[in-house]
Amino acid sequence: MIETLPLLWTLAWRNLWRNPRRTGITLAVVATGIWSILIFNVMIQAVADSGKEESLRLLTGEVQIHAPGFLDDPNIDHRFTAPDRSLLAALNGPGVAAWAPRVRTPAVIESEYRTRAITLLGVSPGPERGVSDLPGQILRGRYLGGPGDPAIVIGADLARRLETRVGKRVIIMAQGADGRMAEAGFKVVGLFGNTRPAQDAFVFTGLAPARTMLGMGASLSEISLDVAHGADPARVAGALRAAAPGLDIQPWMTLSPLAFELESVSKTYVGVWLAIMFVLMAIGIVNTQLMAVFERTREFGLSRALGLRSGMIVLQVSLESAMLVGLGVVAGLVLALAVLGFVGPDVDLGAFAGGAAMAGIGEVLHPRLDAALTVACCLIVWVLGILAALWPAAAAARASPAAAMRAA
Amino acid sequence: MSAIIRCRGVEMTYRQGINLVRAVRGVDLDIESGDFATLSGPSGSGKTTLLSLIGGLDRPTAGEIQVDGEDITGLSADALADLRRSKIGFVFQTYSLAPVLSAEENVEFTLRLLGRPRAERRERAREVLAEVGLAGLEDRRPGQLSGGQQQRVAVARALAPRPAIVLADEPTANLDSTNAEELIALMARLNQTSGATFLIATHDARVIAHARRRIEMTDGRISADVRVEGPGAT
Repeated sequence: MIETLPLLWTLAWRNLWRNPRRTGITLAVVATGIWSILIFNVMIQAVADSGKEESLRLLTGEVQIHAPGFLDDPNIDHRFTAPDRSLLAALNGPGVAAWAPRVRTPAVIESEYRTRAITLLGVSPGPERGVSDLPGQILRGRYLGGPGDPAIVIGADLARRLETRVGKRVIIMAQGADGRMAEAGFKVVGLFGNTRPAQDAFVFTGLAPARTMLGMGASLSEISLDVAHGADPARVAGALRAAAPGLDIQPWMTLSPLAFELESVSKTYVGVWLAIMFVLMAIGIVNTQLMAVFERTREFGLSRALGLRSGMIVLQVSLESAMLVGLGVVAGLVLALAVLGFVGPDVDLGAFAGGAAMAGIGEVLHPRLDAALTVACCLIVWVLGILAALWPAAAAARASPAAAMRAA
Repeated sequence: MSAIIRCRGVEMTYRQGINLVRAVRGVDLDIESGDFATLSGPSGSGKTTLLSLIGGLDRPTAGEIQVDGEDITGLSADALADLRRSKIGFVFQTYSLAPVLSAEENVEFTLRLLGRPRAERRERAREVLAEVGLAGLEDRRPGQLSGGQQQRVAVARALAPRPAIVLADEPTANLDSTNAEELIALMARLNQTSGATFLIATHDARVIAHARRRIEMTDGRISADVRVEGPGAT
């Protein structure tokens, strides 16, 4: 058996090139299939990642902590006291990369000319930069200087609607902790640019002025956090729940179901695409190998007459398939890498920014080939290709040595 | 001499369309070790079928065949393959070489199946190729050889493992007269030098003329069995 392998290897390799055109076509089919699977996977994943990033890095974070009832009715009544020792220990533990405390309440903003409904957020700028990209998206003016900064930062689009600008004052009105209307005047110090809905919805001031205006004392509406690299947000949320059993602690999958569904659906798409491409490739592989086998029925019969066992014939044809599909997989992989190298690490969707925003994805996609998934896709196609070729291999093994002799 | 091939009551019936064809009908035959015998007869007389049965390429529908003392009628397909590999060399009507292997690699084919070491394989292949007059053409592929040269490679391949029996089916059918004469002379000489038993199915009078034993088949039966004194009795 072992001694026969080099012979079978030689036969398989040389037989593969007896009909270069047919082999070339099959190689092209497999290479195109693998290329499309990998590129499709990369682009779908990039879109899903972008959607998730846009959603989570806006304000959501990977886990949020609230008072019970806040998610259903996000108003001042659903607040909680500052984290106790147990929750602080968990927040500062190894599972959490960054966390930011917030006051968050529905409010109304009023300029000299217009009034708009918004969400007021009292934040600590330092921690906020760890969980949100908004502090880095200032188009004009500046971001908040600290948790006690009494200024206000609003979206550029909101500023346009309010007909206000940096340096002007606005009034914020909201329900206070005592149930009565609270209001305060703030100076606009910065305009941020993000998606239009975000620009219209959120207004930021320091944590302390927000608490003061609303009469919340040391209470918070929300803690947003990012988990450490590689940590599972659901598990981190579970650990935090154990540390603060009275609070409502949810991972991003619950808080942002659209982003979660986009990620799940992307994996399903890749699976479906892989299945479609594999069926097409399998048809090509089986067709090629069946033709190759039927053309050489007499040769296989003669090999059997000379003493080659039927199992060895199956092995020989399977080796041919393994080489054929293996070469196609490598060619497809090289092609995919070449395309990704040509495209580069960033794909700018600036020309389609409006559409991208509507789809909930960023203007720049970051396509990257996931090594484990790539290896898995290539191995799956290779192994399934060999399995598909077992049919022609079995047909070859059935070649009758007596028939070969009669045909000779 | 002892019988290296023994057939008793061998029958072979196969279906061709809706008809049953009785290709071999109750053949009793003993071939002695070292013999150079021909199986002749008109087309359809059953000689190729009998050769297939003796070579374990097919199974008889009735009767018993012994090769080198072993009853082969009950052997599995793999056991028959092992038997062919170790004891029987085949030469077919057409050249039947692997087109992707060189002459030397074709000759090495059965030696590789037998697990012989590389050096021994190479030495034996070159030796037997020289014996059939193809020294210097070892690296040529079948497509680069003439019909006569290809058939010589096939003979070399059959003899390389030093089999006890060489079965040849119409080996000269596709050769011109010069190549056919040379091949017959070569096989007769190799029969003398190697001691292998040659059983050749043929209707070529030149081949039959070289045989020490001339067996004739008609309608699946042995109709004549003549032993001639001395090789090349003509």
